[in-house]
Amino acid sequence: MLTKLTGGKVYDPAHGINGEVRDIYVRDGRIVAHHQADGVRPDQEFDCRGKVIMAGAIDMHTHIGGGKVTIARNLLPEDHRNDPVARSGPMRAGTGFAAPSTLTAGYRYAEMGYTAGFEPAVLPINARQAHMEMADTPMLDVGGYAMLGSDDFFLRLIASGAEQEIINDYVAWTIHSSQCIGIKVVNPGGISAFKFNQRKLDLDEDHCYYQVTPRKILQSLARAVHELGVPHPLHVHGCNLGVPGNLDTTLNTITGIEGLPMHLTHIQFHSYGTEGDRKFSSGAAQIAEAINRNPNITADVGQILFGQTVTASGDSMMQFANHAHAHPHKWVCMDIECDAGCGVVPFKYKDQNFVNALQWCIGLEIFLLVEDPWRIFLTTDHPNGAPFTTYPHLIRLLMDKSFRNDVLSTINADSAALSTLASIGREYSLYEIAIMTRAGAARILGLHDRGHLGAGAAADITVYTEQDDKEAMFTTPDYVFKDGELVVKNGEVIKVVWGNLHTIRPEFDRASIESRLKPYFDRYHTLKMDNFIIRDWEIEDDGRSKIMVHPCRGQA
Amino acid sequence: MTMLILTLRSEPQQRIDVAPLTPDGLLDKSAGEIGDILLQTGNRQVRTGELFDIEGNDASHMVLRGATGKLDFIGRGMAQGMIDVEGDAGSYLGMQMKGGHLVVRGSIGAYGACELKNGTVIIQGNAGDFLGASLPGNKKGMAGGTVIVRGNVGDRAGDHMRRGALLIEGNTGAYLGSRMTAGTIAVLGKTGRYPGYAMGRGTLLLAQAPAEILPTFNDCGTHTLGFIPLLLKGFGGLDTPFSNMSESLRRVRRYAGDMSGLGKGEILVAAGT
Repeated sequence: MLTKLTGGKVYDPAHGINGEVRDIYVRDGRIVAHHQADGVRPDQEFDCRGKVIMAGAIDMHTHIGGGKVTIARNLLPEDHRNDPVARSGPMRAGTGFAAPSTLTAGYRYAEMGYTAGFEPAVLPINARQAHMEMADTPMLDVGGYAMLGSDDFFLRLIASGAEQEIINDYVAWTIHSSQCIGIKVVNPGGISAFKFNQRKLDLDEDHCYYQVTPRKILQSLARAVHELGVPHPLHVHGCNLGVPGNLDTTLNTITGIEGLPMHLTHIQFHSYGTEGDRKFSSGAAQIAEAINRNPNITADVGQILFGQTVTASGDSMMQFANHAHAHPHKWVCMDIECDAGCGVVPFKYKDQNFVNALQWCIGLEIFLLVEDPWRIFLTTDHPNGAPFTTYPHLIRLLMDKSFRNDVLSTINADSAALSTLASIGREYSLYEIAIMTRAGAARILGLHDRGHLGAGAAADITVYTEQDDKEAMFTTPDYVFKDGELVVKNGEVIKVVWGNLHTIRPEFDRASIESRLKPYFDRYHTLKMDNFIIRDWEIEDDGRSKIMVHPCRGQA
Repeated sequence: MTMLILTLRSEPQQRIDVAPLTPDGLLDKSAGEIGDILLQTGNRQVRTGELFDIEGNDASHMVLRGATGKLDFIGRGMAQGMIDVEGDAGSYLGMQMKGGHLVVRGSIGAYGACELKNGTVIIQGNAGDFLGASLPGNKKGMAGGTVIVRGNVGDRAGDHMRRGALLIEGNTGAYLGSRMTAGTIAVLGKTGRYPGYAMGRGTLLLAQAPAEILPTFNDCGTHTLGFIPLLLKGFGGLDTPFSNMSESLRRVRRYAGDMSGLGKGEILVAAGT
């Protein structure tokens, strides 16, 4: 079946197309070149004249599955009681605002034109549950980053001075076993150090038991990811999240990686200085400058937006440090299988609160001061900075200077006065938004057939009506296509589909690493090594999700 | 003006959420408009008029006739007027009620008067678990008002209670006043296991010695406490035997706890004369 989208203004940065009027042809879930469709009468035609066409959006960092999301839901029944969603049309009922149920999360993403979301904290030992939950999130393609860096096996390897080769094998084995697409490290070594009663761990501070520093952990993981040819750089949630003055840690992390590719996640939380009367200030300018200067660095922002949400993180050390700010006052910090940790602290960001208002400014400053939109990504670290449903509002803040300054004039005056935001004139263009939320995200993840509209790409397409109010524009797309099927019309889901799981399969020496892992599992773990590995059939046998393996560098 | 009488036509198959049927919600509505209000039952919505016969027009005094344990959320959030439930009531009776009077002639299910803010609730029969408690996951239970139960109550009455009074004339289940922050629970009958578990502040006033005092409560001996006659006098306008008990509660044995928590709560047990 041939579908034609006629006459839309196309924004496809992967091919340098900036608002040109073009027709797009789709056949069997893929975009086809014009010469293949010429002369064929389309079975279905959508009049997109005067409308904006982009690839489906990709959220490259959103907590939509896994243990901590479940804990957040359990901790906050009121989040669900107060936000019930009745079934309607093809959609089933659900609940939840900050930590919505899986079905509701999928529908809401699709209704904003998103067609993929990546869960950034898949703890390998809990990966099975994370995959089940992601598989239960409709409309979206999904994938996960496996969390390493505070697990005992890895820390033992580093402490014993293991060769990089072995670490590479372990990292590759973990990616295979947990069916992930990248590697994330959270507070490198810090989650483990917390359990040895350390309450902070700086970049060059020794873990008191393993005698390993976060710098060393970052370097060996980044090197492993690089040498294995994993497309996505090491995804780093750095040390000292949320601590005033962590700006220096972040800058040291950037220089300390010695030119290896590295992705700094929710960097807003890592860009704080200690200037001013209250010893809390914006480090956005220095951070943005460092990103601009180091082409090996990419970042997503983790913007905060005002309102009630819940922070769910693997970083039990920093979540414990912040638990006193919990609103409502209840929180969870826990160990997970002696392999990592988890902290869930509900939070209400208030626009009249000095710190929160400044955090809001810092995030926006970073967005606007980083020059290359291919290396900065639009996230709120859902739900940590704000629920993902605030993205259209965030896009408007970036695209509309007068709106941004209007909001700036309503927040805490001391924070506004300390921020340079008012003097920044930059407004993002639709092309740059398309880079940040589509083409750039696909490129940084190594998704060769997503995030663009070239021939052969999966037909994940979003059609908007161009409006001056960009929030309204991005809240309600006219059409969303998922793999060629029309799934959303006028901002409402009309057909429920199930997405794919994106993975990679780097090459490695399985026999060598399993000869070390098997006795380790037998001696220390709660399950056998063979059961730890998630098999393809576990994901594909229900007939909904398909595994899509993307090539690593050097693989055909 | 005659009082508004809603008579349940037949025993419902599914539970019915009758939260919209409060004096506040019906005050300016005609019988026809009331009949058109949609109520959630099971997975569908049904018109009030299909479930109830409607007589009278004064919604400030409502009667639910033929009520059964399948009617949930009676009087939810009501702020004024009176609901007289002739029969039993389901769960969440008087949840987050802000004022007015609720009288139930029969027994009620779980979470009666949960997160009550103000007003009076009188239960002639028994009440289920979590009377006057907080909703699951919330930190604050009943925060004002008065609840009188003539019969027995289930477990965890007054869980997370913050203010107000629970006056129980029958027996109680386990964990009476668990996690209480403040307020008063008075009991004429027997109490179950673990009274005052994890209570931070607040008062359990017991006419009979409990079967068990947790080891985390400290016996402080018997006292004549000046505040008790004042407290009981405060119940004066209510139809409750507690208002006349200043003599039998003249001397009380005081247990302070729960020392595993904040430990500023107390269990006061009548010590005779």
